[in-house]
Amino acid sequence: MNESVILLSIVSAVGIGTPILLAGLGEMYTEHSGVMNLGIEGMMLGGGVVGFWVSTQHTSLPLALAVGAAVGALFALVHAFLAVTLRVNQIVSGLALVITGTGFAAFIGSLNDSALTYERPLSSFEPVFGEGMRDLPLVGPLVFGHDWVVYLSWVLVAASAFWLFRTRWGLSLRAVGEDPAAADTVGISVTATRYIYTMVGGAGAGLGGTYLIAGIFSNYQHGITAGLGWIAFALVIFAGWRPWRALAAAYIFGVLRNLGFSLQIIGVDIPADFLNALPFVLTIAALILISARSSAARKYSAPSALAVPYSRESR
Amino acid sequence: MNLAVGAREIVVERRPLPPLWVRAAAPTFSVFFGLVIGAVIIWAAGQDPVLAYTEMVKKGFLGRLPLIGTLVIATPLILTGLAALVAFRMKIWNIGAEGQLIMGAVASAGMGLWIGDGVGGPVGIVIMLAAGAAAGALWAALAALPRAYFNTDEVISTLMLNFVALNIMNYLIFSSISYWRDAERVTFPSGRGISEILFLPRLSGRLHIGLFIAVAAAAVLWWALRYTRWGFEVQVTGDSPRAARYAGMGVDRKILSVLMVSGALAGLAGGIEVGGVLHSLDPRALSLGVGFAGIVVAALARLSPFGVVPVAVFVASITNAGPGLQSIGVSSEVVLMLEGILFLCIVAGEWFLRNTIRVQPAAGSPAARPA
Repeated sequence: MNESVILLSIVSAVGIGTPILLAGLGEMYTEHSGVMNLGIEGMMLGGGVVGFWVSTQHTSLPLALAVGAAVGALFALVHAFLAVTLRVNQIVSGLALVITGTGFAAFIGSLNDSALTYERPLSSFEPVFGEGMRDLPLVGPLVFGHDWVVYLSWVLVAASAFWLFRTRWGLSLRAVGEDPAAADTVGISVTATRYIYTMVGGAGAGLGGTYLIAGIFSNYQHGITAGLGWIAFALVIFAGWRPWRALAAAYIFGVLRNLGFSLQIIGVDIPADFLNALPFVLTIAALILISARSSAARKYSAPSALAVPYSRESR
Repeated sequence: MNLAVGAREIVVERRPLPPLWVRAAAPTFSVFFGLVIGAVIIWAAGQDPVLAYTEMVKKGFLGRLPLIGTLVIATPLILTGLAALVAFRMKIWNIGAEGQLIMGAVASAGMGLWIGDGVGGPVGIVIMLAAGAAAGALWAALAALPRAYFNTDEVISTLMLNFVALNIMNYLIFSSISYWRDAERVTFPSGRGISEILFLPRLSGRLHIGLFIAVAAAAVLWWALRYTRWGFEVQVTGDSPRAARYAGMGVDRKILSVLMVSGALAGLAGGIEVGGVLHSLDPRALSLGVGFAGIVVAALARLSPFGVVPVAVFVASITNAGPGLQSIGVSSEVVLMLEGILFLCIVAGEWFLRNTIRVQPAAGSPAARPA
């Protein structure tokens, strides 16, 4: 009985962990290019609400996800223009983006007397594997029980780890984030790189937002992301800017979000608020540990030029 | 940054101090531009932008009640704006005003409940607000200490602490029968009310003296940054931490003091909300928003303490207009979106203050000047 409750909470953690992971992976690309985008929560809501709307009009879920990702990328384009071209303070621009995205989603959601909140997606995300495989003990629900977006996120993690650390393009990207002047000298366009990967980050947030609203909740309510975008921001730091660690961290954060409920079933009463606060406490702890120890810091610390605008003239 | 167009090129150059008309025109044009973008979105959603905007001016400014509503909303925003400003002056990025405000509200409500009817009038109110400011400062210290001694990035730690504070407040009201919670209201959890003698005195209608406290805080901060040794050292440390270190200014202690002053201002905002408006710890009214908006307000005010006041009032007037829009068939949520768009546009407009655009013959063409 206890084991099944724990298993259940891990399986549901994969569900809630996936939008965090998708948004976090996107932000990881953005930050590796030296741009910090605090606007994840806004891009998730803004992209997610449009993606959800598409899912209520059209049976194709891939289309809904693609539209959600595109809208997220458009929001990120605004941040890229402000942060890269105009070189404004990235914190200010990112927070303005949170307010804009949240407001945009609330506005779209409130039209026609909140018609969108009564809508349901026309189709739902079905499990990929047959019942036989899903009924296998342990590995069934853990490995074979998910819909295709979860497997897509695993593929994206593997692909990101390869792209970032094993390819030329990944090296160029990291060079721009670590030392833009040096990257510029060898002919890498700092501006183009930062624009592209800031938009990749927005696409990840839009994808995660759409999956959250159309897939997990199948329903839109105001402020439905409830801070998941901020958890995604914390995830990137907690994972030390590494994709595989992000996968693990997303599920740890996901477990914490559901654990309170599961523990209550088996009679352990830990307030959900404490568990909800834990991802943020853990991230602060990880951050302090990294900054206090110099050897670990070199490997898992932020890109050197993170949030620092680049201009050739002041090189 | 050069952009070649045929035989000519567009040159973008930094400039030191723009002429006065540009300084005035840039934000005005930005606001106009933002309103146009907002109008397009409102129009695309099938609602009437002109009607929405006229109604917003009416509901935000015109008349006694709209004006009072706007000033009540502006009060905490002025303080969180100042909180962001003082840290930004030293290039310390405190984005934890939200959490510091919440902890200030928790402490003020707790202190208010503890005092009860015991200490009446001004003394009780001062104690209550001081508790809020102290709690905000201590909450900021949680990020300031690692920043000062391990160089832990304060952007992330202050941001993360917001959500820790939010969950603490939720726990006190929603998940436990705490000291702060009204134990008799079970189905609709809410905070226990503080004694009426601790309510901030009111000036007119809902308008309470918190506004004066906020404006006074702006004046004190302006004076402290301009005329005290502390203010001078904050400015020098912000411009060049190395120079400050060589001059023996004690940069670590300065980081600690600036972040704690910043946290105290945000905590005071929380205390004033409890004493002046909410009269209990109310998580529904203290959830995320004012702290983040304060950061943008500080930036839009170009880090000037007195500039924060009108900018906060302007932003508050938009917020205040929201509920009134419902009656004319425009979603009240439009105001948050509009605020975000205006923020983005004004921030972008600031660029025109620092740069000038000039068209000249392209490099390589006969008329080109040496660079």
